[in-house]
Amino acid sequence: MKIVVGQGSCGIAAGAGKIYDLIENANPSCELTITGCIGMCFVEPIVDIYDDEGKLKRLVRVKDSDAEKIVEAVEKKDLSIVDYLEISDEDNSFLTQQTRVALRHCGIINPEKIEDYIADDGYQAIEKVLKTMTPEDVIEEIKISGLAGRGGAGFPTWFKWNAAKQSTGDKKYLICNADEGDPGAFMDRAVIEGDPHNLIEGMLIGAYAIGASEAVVYVRAEYPLAILRLENAIKEAKEKGYLGNNILGSSFSCEMRIKAGAGAFVCGEETALIESLEGQRGMPRLKPPFPAQSGYWHKPSNINNVETFANVPWILLNGGNAFSAMGTEDSKGTKVFALTGKIKRGGLVEIPMGKTLRDVIFNIGGGIRDNAEFKAVQMGGPSGGCIPMSLIDTVIDYKKLGATGAIMGSGGMVVMDSSTCMVGMAKFFLDFTAKESCGKCIHCRLGTKRMLEVLERIVSGKGESGDIELLEELCVSIKDGALCGLGQTAPNPVLTTIKYFRDEYEAHINDKKCPAKECIDMVSYSISDNCKGCTLCARNCPVNAISGKVKEKHIIDTDVCIKCGKCYESCKFGAVVVE
Amino acid sequence: MLHLVIDGINIEAKEGSTILEAATANGIEIPTLCYDKRVELYGACGLCVVEAEGIPKLLRACATKATDGMVINTKTPRVVRSRKVALELLLTDHDGDCKAPCSLACPAGTDCQGYVGMIANGEYKEAIKLIKDKIPMPASIGRVCPHPCEKACRRQNVEEPISIAWLKSFAADMDLKSDDVFKPEVAEATGKKVAVIGGGPGGLTTAYYLRIMGHDVTVYDAMPNMGGMLRYGIPQYRLPKEVVEREVQEIASIGVKLQNNVRIGKDITLEELRNNNAAVVVAIGAWKSSSMRAKGEELDGVLGGIDFLRNSVMNLPLNMGKKVAVVGGGNTAMDACRTAVRQGAEEVYVIYRRTRSEMPADDVEIEEAIEEGVEFKFLTNPDEIIGENGKVKAVRLQKMELGEPDASGRRSPVAIEGAFEEIELDTVIMAIGQYANLDGFEDLELTRKRTIAADESTFRTSLEGVFAVGDATNKGADIAISAIGEGKRAADVIDSYLNGEIVGYKKPYVVERVVSPEEYEAKEKAYRPHMPHLSPEERKHNFEEIVKGYSAEDAKKEASRCLECGCHDFYECKLIKLANEYDVNPARFGDNKHQRRSEQTHPYIERNPDKCILCGLCVRVCEEVMGITALGLIGRGFDTIVQPEFDKPLQSTECISCGQCVTLCPTGALREIQPVTKPVPAKEKETVTTCSFCSAGCQMKLKSVGNTILRAVPEGECSLLCADGRFGFGERQSVERKLGAKVNGETVSFDEAAKAINEAFSKYDASDIGVAISESLTNEEAEAAKKYAEEVLKTSNIFTYSTRKQGPRAAMGLGFSPKKHNEKFGEVALSSNANAKGLEKLGIEKSTDVFKAMFLVGEELPEGAKAEFTVKIGLFNDDADIFVPQSTFAETNGTVISADGKTLAIRKAVAPACETDTLTFIEKLMK
Repeated sequence: MKIVVGQGSCGIAAGAGKIYDLIENANPSCELTITGCIGMCFVEPIVDIYDDEGKLKRLVRVKDSDAEKIVEAVEKKDLSIVDYLEISDEDNSFLTQQTRVALRHCGIINPEKIEDYIADDGYQAIEKVLKTMTPEDVIEEIKISGLAGRGGAGFPTWFKWNAAKQSTGDKKYLICNADEGDPGAFMDRAVIEGDPHNLIEGMLIGAYAIGASEAVVYVRAEYPLAILRLENAIKEAKEKGYLGNNILGSSFSCEMRIKAGAGAFVCGEETALIESLEGQRGMPRLKPPFPAQSGYWHKPSNINNVETFANVPWILLNGGNAFSAMGTEDSKGTKVFALTGKIKRGGLVEIPMGKTLRDVIFNIGGGIRDNAEFKAVQMGGPSGGCIPMSLIDTVIDYKKLGATGAIMGSGGMVVMDSSTCMVGMAKFFLDFTAKESCGKCIHCRLGTKRMLEVLERIVSGKGESGDIELLEELCVSIKDGALCGLGQTAPNPVLTTIKYFRDEYEAHINDKKCPAKECIDMVSYSISDNCKGCTLCARNCPVNAISGKVKEKHIIDTDVCIKCGKCYESCKFGAVVVE
Repeated sequence: MLHLVIDGINIEAKEGSTILEAATANGIEIPTLCYDKRVELYGACGLCVVEAEGIPKLLRACATKATDGMVINTKTPRVVRSRKVALELLLTDHDGDCKAPCSLACPAGTDCQGYVGMIANGEYKEAIKLIKDKIPMPASIGRVCPHPCEKACRRQNVEEPISIAWLKSFAADMDLKSDDVFKPEVAEATGKKVAVIGGGPGGLTTAYYLRIMGHDVTVYDAMPNMGGMLRYGIPQYRLPKEVVEREVQEIASIGVKLQNNVRIGKDITLEELRNNNAAVVVAIGAWKSSSMRAKGEELDGVLGGIDFLRNSVMNLPLNMGKKVAVVGGGNTAMDACRTAVRQGAEEVYVIYRRTRSEMPADDVEIEEAIEEGVEFKFLTNPDEIIGENGKVKAVRLQKMELGEPDASGRRSPVAIEGAFEEIELDTVIMAIGQYANLDGFEDLELTRKRTIAADESTFRTSLEGVFAVGDATNKGADIAISAIGEGKRAADVIDSYLNGEIVGYKKPYVVERVVSPEEYEAKEKAYRPHMPHLSPEERKHNFEEIVKGYSAEDAKKEASRCLECGCHDFYECKLIKLANEYDVNPARFGDNKHQRRSEQTHPYIERNPDKCILCGLCVRVCEEVMGITALGLIGRGFDTIVQPEFDKPLQSTECISCGQCVTLCPTGALREIQPVTKPVPAKEKETVTTCSFCSAGCQMKLKSVGNTILRAVPEGECSLLCADGRFGFGERQSVERKLGAKVNGETVSFDEAAKAINEAFSKYDASDIGVAISESLTNEEAEAAKKYAEEVLKTSNIFTYSTRKQGPRAAMGLGFSPKKHNEKFGEVALSSNANAKGLEKLGIEKSTDVFKAMFLVGEELPEGAKAEFTVKIGLFNDDADIFVPQSTFAETNGTVISADGKTLAIRKAVAPACETDTLTFIEKLMK
């Protein structure tokens, strides 16, 4: 028997840390261990119990008080004691509908034990590579696989590797971009926290292919657990001879280290990342020259995203053809998505390319929370765009998603229901990019700021006719003129919301109404005759704006009301009216 | 070699060059604000974008390598749009004053700050040059202009505005009095004839500037003399006819033909003029007085204000009697009532239907009228002029009160029912408005106001080839300077018309700042110098000019009060140039601008982040070229700012005051603190010369206006100057400099000094005479001094002390980038004096010997040493028996030899501040 407590950041946030302690303190006679993010964030904390036959019983939404029962069940070898915690078939279908390549060990192995990784095919790919393949063979295999950069741009990985390999230089660098900054994205974090050796192995293969002797993982400092586990993994790998000089007895040597980023979104842009690595202000460099020619310390460098590397060992073990067998004509393999927002089942989803958005959102994700109406999904974070219900059957594939105005992106999928104001959503993302602009180029620094001001004007009820056209003009100019990807893609949320929800913009501007009733400057709260005088709203009001006697109709003082919505949420009679 | 096509032109480019380099090498201009070849590529501004055939993205020309066969277009609509938006976005956060508010307020766009600054620096010639670029009659205008410039002057936030108008007439009077009166350069004759109808300010201005452009211009005027309203509408005591006449002469002197006593429709027709000229300008002014629409206006004794003034000027009989009332509240009313006083009226009234505070007349005019005994009947309006035997006997006044503000914002007068007053009168003068007499111009289309309809931008009328300006057009009568402004702009338009393609006038785009009075709270108060003028008693019975004008000293003092609102880098600013080229309209993107300007104390460099466009050139040149990091980029996004680390004062950083950041700054965000009385934005003369602060031989460009050096900037391949070279020229024009020759403490002429020197030395034995020649002299000066010593003084005691202890920072390796220093000079030892090598070559050796009689050429005696008799040619220290001022390297032509043995040119940028330059003086000694 074995107890495994999910200890990804998501699980810990839900209380799994304490549960682990409680179980440990109960001193169970079986093995107690941890694992990384299982991907089912919506049912955390999760405790997996494997019986002696190795059969898994997954317990979900575990509370502190359940720890005792879990230990009891294990000690009595009667798992029916915790039947009440077992995951439902429906919830479990979240996982069973997935195909896991990059996440294949996540939620299964103990990320802090290299032995677990090794026991599950770990480091077999690098062994195969070093013993049987030339760097050219590796690049060829990656080419066959059709693997493309998972950070967002979707550039063929083999091409970058090949360019870096072809570049002459006494020293080359391999860099992993783990500066996952999109709001709502956590794929990379899950990989590092749940399967750090997979990343190390993928990077080793990449370093071998391009001829790099030094590898750096650029992780955002906001991922302390990921950094901790990766540090531990690097240490373990060194001890086992997977890192360092003459790896596995070959002539290939490679050192690896971590660089914690200081939290600038733009440092996810590869040239800004290099500047930051060099200790400079994180500002993008002009391309060309591309990093493959002149990158870190002006040496040939190759930069890939975490998820990209995470696919590499699998490809080398199973063959490029096995990978390219999944997916569509244009996009091969699988893709991990971080499903969040107003979704019933949020978490990490890895599916083969070619599935539809409906598959992910409605079949795997279970549709919209509280059975509300689906409105749109934001793909690719602040660089991406929204996709409305009418395009829910769009196939997940770089080209098809691009055609909608959104992008594949790194995998953030933020689901919105009818209570989300699309203008407000566009404003949210633009506020993000405007703040995260490095300030270097005019279009991004000032263009996003001026766009943000127009959007702020619109959501506060001061929109003017011509504002939509002004936004569109700025969007086109910024896309054309901005220096780096951050700026060039910053208008996407605005462009797509205008494209699919122009009527909402017009309602804000012409009628001074927010159809989603989210823009507080355009809504007012009042209490209708449905009021029973239960006083609940008055007691919940944080600013004492509601008055009224028991069993009499209550009144909201609109001068005092801060439109927080507490009354609306608390009223059991639907008496609070938002207009 | 690469072969590519840019804008349809086949060009060749060096392998490896970027599109920008290829274009520039072939004379094709691609704009950029962040590129400089000395620093690494940056790509921030995005202005250099171009389109290449077959490539969907816009390419940054600075960063994209040209490839063989590339077809590039630098001016496609997409490129232009992208650049325009970039510029507009930049301007949404660029705060400052491109031009000073005074200049912007002037209807003629006169560069007020420019000429005021020139006057402060004593550059009167430059001042008049600037003024006459916009106003051909500044002596007249300076006297009469209601000066909208002064109303806009920000100095009034401190105490009172600069007296810009008086400074104008001061500069103009100085010029007219001089024996070298300013004459504009007249272009070669074009053979195109233009007729200007009307010799008032508008007509004369149009004629003057058209003439400068080489056209054959004749002014036709109905009156016996030119000047229009300046001559016939403004009384002598404000503007003497002689001044007008003198300025008319100046206009005639450049070849403008003047024909008086010609009335259109009577002596010649408009049609005839059209037939005989390539263009006709109608500038006939507004010479008819508007009616009051009161009963009794037809009576004998009722006349118009301008008619009255004209009759007075022309010495025609006035028959006005003893009691005179003037109706109206403008300057014409004031001119009329004060003229009536001077013409002997005993009781003079001004009838005005509002109160004093609503009067459009200048305050000083009202005050002076009151001082002269004029009685103001405010809140009254003529109801009826009562006559007797067809002649005015009295006027009945309706009493008024102020009601609601009207469209003009003034409270409109409302009649108080039944309240009347009657005054006995002999004459009623109506001065409530003027309109044009359009007899003879019936063919021209009119506006609804019955003025000539002229296009606002091209001044075209309904008749081909006929243009119109001034009071007779569009909105009607206005002040003289408005007509002058239109005249100048019309001249440019007509010139383009005569050249085949008419280009209308477009108001240039400028950035303007909104100021708050608090900004000026700390400013020390300094009121205008007193303007000498006649007392009421002295003036009320004659027509003598009241205002006497400033003395040169007062004018300089007054001009020095200027707050220098307009950007000092206006003429260098790349941003404003491009903004106008791309016809920007940034307002549509909002104008939420940063206000982050702060007090600064760096001795040479002023930073103004409000003007910064974050091109990063300063940061990059500081780090990459100079190896220093005094400035850096702080903050993110919209709030990014260039600052020293921890926002320390710049001088507390590693800054070495090389000024590279200032040189590269494309806007006015970084500027030199200029060592002159009044730094002034101007089109500067540039003189390439050699820096004389050490023997490095750095090439520099001296930028000057008149005889004032405004800046020194690096020049040539190396493009480096240290703080001394960059900012040290101030000592050349320091007030400490001694400019008079002295013999035993008495000031003498250079000739007298030369004579005294030769006489004095002749008393000494040649062996007792020592000649010390400074290493800071040019080869020519040193050689001449040596020759004088050998041939005239017959001495062989010729040497140099090289006493200059404080070596320049370059030579000492301080204050100069050590990195660049070594790159440039390697192991060459620098001397702290500019021409040590030159003196070496002349065989002048170092010594510390002191002789009985010493001739110190640019030298000082060694410390503690004494000589019986000393003659000194020097800059600051005139402690010698005979002292002659020395000229500086900016004031002379010659050569020096640099430490690495190159002979380099010293070129004269300004005239010597003293009588002659040193070389000429030594030559004088030889005679």
